[in-house]
Amino acid sequence: MEFADTPEQALLRDTVRAFAARHGTPEQVRATMTGPTGCDHHTWERLARELGLTALAVPERYGGAGAGPAEVAIAVEELGRVLLPSPYLSTAVVALALSDQADPAFAERYLPGLADGSLIGALALDADVVSAGGTISGVARHVVDGGLAGLLLVRAGDQLMAVSAADTAIEQLNTLDQTRRQALVRFDQTPALLAGPAAPVIAMQRVLLAAECAAAARHCLEVTVEYLKTRRQFGRPIGSFQALKHRAADLAVAVESAHATARAAVWTAATDPARLATLAPLAALHCSRTFVQVAAEMIQLHGGIGFTWEHETHLYLKRAKSTQLLLGPVSGLRTEIAGQAGLLPGRRG
Amino acid sequence: MHAPDEQAPDKQAADKQAPDEQAFRAEVRDWLSANLSGEFAPLVGSGGPGREHEFIEQRMAWERRLGADGWIGIGWPVSAGGRGLPWSHQVIFYEEYARAGAPARVGHMGEQLLGPTLLMFGTAEQRGRFLPGILAGTQLWCQGYSEPGAGSDLAAVATRARLDGGEWHVDGQKVWTSLAQFADWCFVLARTEPAAQRHRGLSYLLVPMRQPGIEVRPIVQLTGTAEFNEVFFDDARAAAGDVVGVPGDGWRVAMGTLAVERGVSTFGQQLGFQREFDAVLVTARSTGALEDPDIAARIAEAWVGLQVMRYTALAALDRPAADVPGAEVSINKLIWGTWHQRLGELAVDVAGAAATVVGAGYDLDNAQRLFLYTKADTIYGGSAEIQRNVIAERLLGLPREAR
Repeated sequence: MEFADTPEQALLRDTVRAFAARHGTPEQVRATMTGPTGCDHHTWERLARELGLTALAVPERYGGAGAGPAEVAIAVEELGRVLLPSPYLSTAVVALALSDQADPAFAERYLPGLADGSLIGALALDADVVSAGGTISGVARHVVDGGLAGLLLVRAGDQLMAVSAADTAIEQLNTLDQTRRQALVRFDQTPALLAGPAAPVIAMQRVLLAAECAAAARHCLEVTVEYLKTRRQFGRPIGSFQALKHRAADLAVAVESAHATARAAVWTAATDPARLATLAPLAALHCSRTFVQVAAEMIQLHGGIGFTWEHETHLYLKRAKSTQLLLGPVSGLRTEIAGQAGLLPGRRG
Repeated sequence: MHAPDEQAPDKQAADKQAPDEQAFRAEVRDWLSANLSGEFAPLVGSGGPGREHEFIEQRMAWERRLGADGWIGIGWPVSAGGRGLPWSHQVIFYEEYARAGAPARVGHMGEQLLGPTLLMFGTAEQRGRFLPGILAGTQLWCQGYSEPGAGSDLAAVATRARLDGGEWHVDGQKVWTSLAQFADWCFVLARTEPAAQRHRGLSYLLVPMRQPGIEVRPIVQLTGTAEFNEVFFDDARAAAGDVVGVPGDGWRVAMGTLAVERGVSTFGQQLGFQREFDAVLVTARSTGALEDPDIAARIAEAWVGLQVMRYTALAALDRPAADVPGAEVSINKLIWGTWHQRLGELAVDVAGAAATVVGAGYDLDNAQRLFLYTKADTIYGGSAEIQRNVIAERLLGLPREAR
């Protein structure tokens, strides 16, 4: 199991980090999150065409860079650290899904657009639909990036159906986390193509969300530690008080463990995705919980300034909690893990 | 995937492994199965936390068997008599050792602490005199750091030593010294410059245990058993040359070992944890406690915690060695100490009221022992609070508290 970046991956990380620093400043993030679509199209164009991040998830024969989950995760982590509003994660998951399991004609139709960023993908997992005669009808809730997407992968039972967003009725929602929009999508005898089983795609999404959570949690810790070093009360830096140092140390332990778990999941996604059945829910559970913990503590350790709209703390708390809630109840993930690991009552492994 | 049985970590470990690592794993496994038999067969599962007093003579013989076949100091350089194996191989050794249920080591103080210290700070004469005995498993060491007045505040060491007539004369008391009654030698942190304060003026002395000036008294713990000791020094003697590093520089020597410790042995420890977890699961299943949603959730969380612990320890090994000395160890310690303590609580909660009754002579079952003994996990080897200080100051760079 490899936890550190290869030299090529480190280079990619530096490039994306520099891009995020330039195009994901706090001012830009705020302007975008309150803008009409929740995504800055110039930034998306640059991200896709200049940096080629969308191509990472697509094989070379379909116009991609033929990288894979490890490289996609690096982009997700670096964009996630600054909460850069973009449909990158959604689009990458859809691209990885179609690269993996679609027939050539299917791939030919969608992957080149997903590779160059002209087609945005989104997953509609919280869907209540019936399929009949090559169409689906029903509704999908909490479709992250649904308002931006051209292609939707909609869960119908244990399968995913590919649907053109143009054939659906999309209602933009106002979201708690303004940096990541959602939509309500209605289907009425909407043409749909079978895109393959849902489970591996859900697993990949969870792995990438885990990686994002771990990276964003680390950012929260770094900002908090910096504040503890500079903020003075009682004539000294508040970071010299043991009550605060111990809280920061607990966060550091949580961040290191989330980082390690996310890296293990990413490595497994890249090398042996069949083994994600346990590791994907485990990483999602642990990393989202850690992100919520660190973002909440970030507010407490900043004191009053951390409770203001102006400070970035609330953006991270809202992303963290929204991610955790969208992953479904903790008890659900736990039961899934317990089932995979043979920990349920009444059966022996 | 897999049940948490003996096969699961096995497969996990063997996956995607370089051929030389697979071959090494096979070599370790073969040796253990060939040797952990006959006179040593009863030792399987013996020793370890809460059971350090078990089968002590046989475990000392086992230490010599390990040494005879070159399984002590496998990570030490070849020039020092070791095998110069990388971290990855050491992890494999500890995993296989634990998987085989091989007994808790009685030589770990020599192998893990004194040996590396001599390699860093010792003279050629000291290495030549002490390393072979450690490697052969014939010379056992105990650690003389903690004192009644110097626990978390180790720099408050008050045991004194003075050079007189070509010998160190040592007076004072050490505490929480495991295996002191069996050890041949003790590495002692003692104050050799009475006027110097705190970290200064301490020396790292090598003191023979079998001499009239040393008395060992066992400490009965809250488990009712005695694994640790008090060691009293009353004009005990050490040779003038048996000081490691410069006299007065003992603090740096003692802390130096910590800087190179990467927590490789935690991988074997984790297999022990897996075994304990499995036992709790078996009980929870057979008594029906697993039907209780609260117990089921805690069992699942314990399993998750065990995986997270393993990934965190593996990730620490992948970081450059000089990155943040000591911080990995503190992170691992906090994670496993907290996890293990929680497992102890889960173990007795799974047993329910049955865990309130003990055997004759205060004989504890595994769940009771786990519950009680794990209270020490967040105290010994640096309390959880001290570990948090280390992480806050060394990893995060937060300022020291006004002291």
